[in-house]
Amino acid sequence: MSQQWSIESLFRALQESEFGRTGHVSFQIHEGVEPVLLIEMHELGDLPMHLVATGGEVHVSATLCHASQVKDRNAFNDACLRLNTIYPLSNIGITTVDDEDVYIVFGQLSSLAPLPNVIEEIIVLGHNTIQAASELTTHLH
Amino acid sequence: MAIIQKLITLVRGTATEAGQAIVDVNALKILDQEIRDADSALVSSRTDLTRLMAERKITGDKSNDKQAKLTEYNQYIRQLLDKGDQALALEVAGKVAALENEIAADKATLAGMDANVTKLQGSIRQAQATIDQLKRQVDTVKATASVQRAQEAISSTTSGSNVKLHTALDSLKRIEEQQAFKGAQIEAANQLEAQGTDGDLQQRLRDAGVLPGATAADDVLARFKKTDS
Repeated sequence: MSQQWSIESLFRALQESEFGRTGHVSFQIHEGVEPVLLIEMHELGDLPMHLVATGGEVHVSATLCHASQVKDRNAFNDACLRLNTIYPLSNIGITTVDDEDVYIVFGQLSSLAPLPNVIEEIIVLGHNTIQAASELTTHLH
Repeated sequence: MAIIQKLITLVRGTATEAGQAIVDVNALKILDQEIRDADSALVSSRTDLTRLMAERKITGDKSNDKQAKLTEYNQYIRQLLDKGDQALALEVAGKVAALENEIAADKATLAGMDANVTKLQGSIRQAQATIDQLKRQVDTVKATASVQRAQEAISSTTSGSNVKLHTALDSLKRIEEQQAFKGAQIEAANQLEAQGTDGDLQQRLRDAGVLPGATAADDVLARFKKTDS
């Protein structure tokens, strides 16, 4: 499949897919200079995920926690790096939202990737995020 | 890596979070500059390559001409010697010697030019790969920035100033609550069922040995004991 995804085409494809019709997940486009697809994973405690399609890549991410929730940043970073190696299709990283450091779990695909790969990325990333949150709770307030 | 180094240099000496903001603001600028640099390197490598290939063609053609002339002169020498014109043959032989020296020098020059062509083609491929890689990084930076903007927009519309972005921790808590709720539901359902069928009472009666059938084994043994005696 050589179709290059845009947020709109991906939104439609996901909604029409078997995954989208289960009712376990909902999608919404958040308009902006670069539109973002908001994904809510109902089976995972309504975990919000964000999907962006820019240039050659599809970028999926979920917010793990705020840096302010972490007891010891060094110990937490160490734990994150160790966890990172065992999660397929996902990476843990730091970004800033509203001037605050936020830990995210994210993954990237080629924007030419077929739909089942995008769906797999969303599902695996969602589960990894919840699992990471559960593994890391001892490090958090 | 060079870009990371630049970002680190930029961030060094600033507080972490301010540093992060500087990284975000400058990442695109730095990447843009890197792409321009790689692109101008690519353009100049391509120009060099075109020039070098043209020069190589001219040098090669000239050398081929010399080779043709050499063959021609060698034929003359043979003819002159056949005719016995020793003096002219010697003069032509002088030219042949000079040509042979030039052709040998040309060969060395051409080999050097070929090596440079290969080297330039390599650096063009490298520059192209660098540009592709940098463009992918730009995509990633843009994607991250878009997500950040969306998250900021969402947190400002859904919340007062104190409510924070929904994180995986909130979801995890919700899952645990749901699981606890489901667990409680199952337990309650089991209790209700037990009450509904008097299961609990039956069990207690069975334990007390009152219920018919519960002591059947003892009864059987007792029967044997009676017949034995």
